[in-house]
Amino acid sequence: MSNYFNTLPLREKLNQLGVCDFMDSSEFLDGVNALKGKKLVIVGCGAQGLNQGLNLRDSGLNISYTLRKEAIEGKRDSWKNATENNFTVGTYEELIPDADVVINLTPDKQHTAVVNAIMPLMKKGATLLYSHGFNIVEEGMQIRKDITVIMVAPKCPGSEVRAEYVRGFGVPTLIAVHPENDPEGKGLVQAKAYCVGTGGHRAGVLKSSFVAEVKSDLMGEQTILCGLLQTGSILSFDKMIEKGIDAGYASKLVQYGVEVITEALKQGGITAMMDRLSNVAKIKAFEISQELKTIMRPLFQKHQDDIMSGEFSRTMMEDWAAGDKNLLAWRAATGETAFEKTPAGNVKIGEQEYFDNALLMVAFIRAGVELAFETMVEAGIKPESAYYESLHETPLIANTIARKKLFEMNRVISDTAEYGCYLFDHACKPLLADFMTRVDTDLIGKNFNEGKDGSVDNRALIAVNEVIRSHEVEQIGAELRKAMTAMKSIKTV
Amino acid sequence: MSQPVVHITNLILKYHHKPVLQDLNWIINPGENWLLRGTSGSGKTSLAKAIAGLVPFQGTLSMHFDEQSKLPAVAHYVANWFQFTDLEGQSNFYYQQRYNKQATETTATVKAELEDYGKKHQLQFSDAEKLVAALGFSELLHSTLIQLSSGEHKKLQLVRALWLRPQLLIIDQPYNGLDKLSRHHLNTLLEEISAAGTQLILISNDRELPPSIHRFAEIKDGQLYEIAADKHVSHLDETVNRPIPSFLNETPAISGDSVIKMVDVNISYGDKKVLKNINWEVKAGEKWLLQGHNGSGKSTLLSLITGDHPQAYANNFYLFGNKRGSGESIWDIKKRMGLISPELHWYFDASATVRQTILSGFFDSSGLFCEPDYTKKTQADELISYLGLDEYKDVLVNQLPLGKQRLALLGRTIVKNPELLILDEPCQGLDQQQTQYFNRLVDELCKNGTTLIYVGHFESQLPACIEKRILLENGEVKSVENILESVSQ
Repeated sequence: MSNYFNTLPLREKLNQLGVCDFMDSSEFLDGVNALKGKKLVIVGCGAQGLNQGLNLRDSGLNISYTLRKEAIEGKRDSWKNATENNFTVGTYEELIPDADVVINLTPDKQHTAVVNAIMPLMKKGATLLYSHGFNIVEEGMQIRKDITVIMVAPKCPGSEVRAEYVRGFGVPTLIAVHPENDPEGKGLVQAKAYCVGTGGHRAGVLKSSFVAEVKSDLMGEQTILCGLLQTGSILSFDKMIEKGIDAGYASKLVQYGVEVITEALKQGGITAMMDRLSNVAKIKAFEISQELKTIMRPLFQKHQDDIMSGEFSRTMMEDWAAGDKNLLAWRAATGETAFEKTPAGNVKIGEQEYFDNALLMVAFIRAGVELAFETMVEAGIKPESAYYESLHETPLIANTIARKKLFEMNRVISDTAEYGCYLFDHACKPLLADFMTRVDTDLIGKNFNEGKDGSVDNRALIAVNEVIRSHEVEQIGAELRKAMTAMKSIKTV
Repeated sequence: MSQPVVHITNLILKYHHKPVLQDLNWIINPGENWLLRGTSGSGKTSLAKAIAGLVPFQGTLSMHFDEQSKLPAVAHYVANWFQFTDLEGQSNFYYQQRYNKQATETTATVKAELEDYGKKHQLQFSDAEKLVAALGFSELLHSTLIQLSSGEHKKLQLVRALWLRPQLLIIDQPYNGLDKLSRHHLNTLLEEISAAGTQLILISNDRELPPSIHRFAEIKDGQLYEIAADKHVSHLDETVNRPIPSFLNETPAISGDSVIKMVDVNISYGDKKVLKNINWEVKAGEKWLLQGHNGSGKSTLLSLITGDHPQAYANNFYLFGNKRGSGESIWDIKKRMGLISPELHWYFDASATVRQTILSGFFDSSGLFCEPDYTKKTQADELISYLGLDEYKDVLVNQLPLGKQRLALLGRTIVKNPELLILDEPCQGLDQQQTQYFNRLVDELCKNGTTLIYVGHFESQLPACIEKRILLENGEVKSVENILESVSQ
């Protein structure tokens, strides 16, 4: 198998990278009809598998689960999840041959083994559904030509997929059809019906491609979503300790601060987040984030380049082959950081204080979101896609840090994201070493406004606002957020 | 004479910038036990929270506890709903999550929760066990918090408060969701702790109170008045004589003769059987009362009908003439019914306005996600006026007092004039006037062939139209009977 993207001529590369259309709700009027009466078999029953299956069944579709023999015989959690909710469970041999659609919701790492095991069992003309394109694009998995290959990727954790469905809504979803495997031309219709089944059509659906999904997803998770949140959290915490801020306070400010700050991001983009600062603080945060963008841009570009060339996946797959040697070592090291080991103190931090006393975090987030977005768009990814993989997902990941710091974040995200996150973090910290020597507690740990009279130059403020508001991520964001009307607000601590 | 325990002078309290209490005065002397009444929105909860030190206010409020007493010198407030959290301290749960089984449990068991509470307040666990037994709660010690029904959450909340025995105990809606027997047991327990020195303030419109309650107060126009024990809360509502909106007088689209048919339905969690061989048929136009003690399986039974229970797919039952699990979606089912329940209320989208809430009834969603057409908007507005909610139209539901929230959700339940109404303790949190008024509305609505399933513990507060009763006990049908004459009064 060789990297699928690299086998394409440039014309076709650009073609597949540059797909991302926001679909009109009229595209979904046919409901689940294209899948009605068909046998849908889900491989794997973790959080995504179970919750998608519950939704699909409640939408009137026929769902069962297939698991490896050992998981069934050992009555593992996946088996319990499926049987205790009254789903039929069977081995590959029992269920795959009759399946009209096989839904692969196992982790990336297992894809090659799983697909090699199920493909010979699949009947002629069946459909194989992925929720992530890594196996097809990066590993170059070849699927039998009579099989239709589609992707449906809800952009939220599994429990959210369920929670939003039962309240009559859904989560934003990305769909795609693999151009090499659409022999009957039914791929898109089935993907749309699947979206209706999980409720995604009510929250906004983006039509993408396997290539665009993989290249943007990897970029987002490695840089702003996980990488920079990790680097920013650790550097901010260490700086506060170095400057004598109480450790419990510092720990809490960072752990919950990312969530509170990015909640503003979720509601109203970078503009809303920056507007939470006073005018003086906003100008300062703008200046530092400009500096951070200059320092980190080469690193963001390197990540995007390695993702495009296949270098990233090649090295990561080497690590898979080596039994996750690097991944496990890096994971352990993250668990040993001072931030991770210092519990949040029992101090009350007001909502506004999370902005005023953590100007540096705000600057990190603006720099990271804009850089990730800009780098993706420059590489040929459409702005809609770039928005989802940068700004849209940042609050979701920040929410996991609020739960249990970096351990929780790295536990929840895929191993692929986690691997990329460490790569970024290790390269980013040295890059910021000089910058961090110039940071004091006015930027992180204490209220920036303290001792200042708050006056600003009108023209300077107007200019700063103009740059923030006219950024393309703000323009596209305003449009897409309108379509995702009722996002739940996160409860602040 | 000794100092008053609570001495309030000229208390002023605002709720979301609106004045609620204006120069309120109240003296609670040692040994006194009070009942606090008032119409919905009069400020009962605000006053209780002020005494417990949970909300800011203006004016003076001084407290003098008995220093000789062994009881904790605190005013402990028990809210009308138990806000539980998962093992990580979060409470992001969603509607009907308790019916979905996930291999890893994320909430504590009742026992662990109580042990934790006991440790924090240095209490003897054996004392809690007695209370748990007295409230008929023992078999739930090993259930997790998320599995409990609303009545069971209420019991857990009460156990904690009774166990703590503070010098002043304020309970907001102590009887919500409790069955008759549990109410009786609760009154006995309240009597006991009051004899042992705990002073009580109960906020309730209920009439069966522990005998030690001997002083009665009502909040009206921001002030507190002492009233006679048997005085009804008088609040003349001009909406009472208003005609019902005409679109609700139309006969709903009826899908067939049989609305619900269950054949040997069973639900179990692991080894625990929650419903056993349930056989029940509801025909179009019938008006049913569903009763049973807390934990008898009522909520589970209803969750099957409302499409909220995953185990529905493993059972043999029919909804609106179709076998469940034969290709229909839960939205196909929900569009034929209007539902209200304590759970639906609790998990409802708190960021919706009253108008959005009522409009969301057309789409069966929690919160409004699309732009309704002109007819729907007009009908919603008509209903808002009918319910007397005009001035709250654009207010967020979670900023309203409990009774008004309930009324908005009741509007959501009926707005589409569904063929089946499922009203699970619809009047929780309403005052007597609102309850009577709502039940009359139910009677009106049901004249046109609507099928009704009503869950209510209080015989005195039921709609007159009810004609049949199904009684559950320990997950089984204990009796099915016609009750044409007996209930309505």
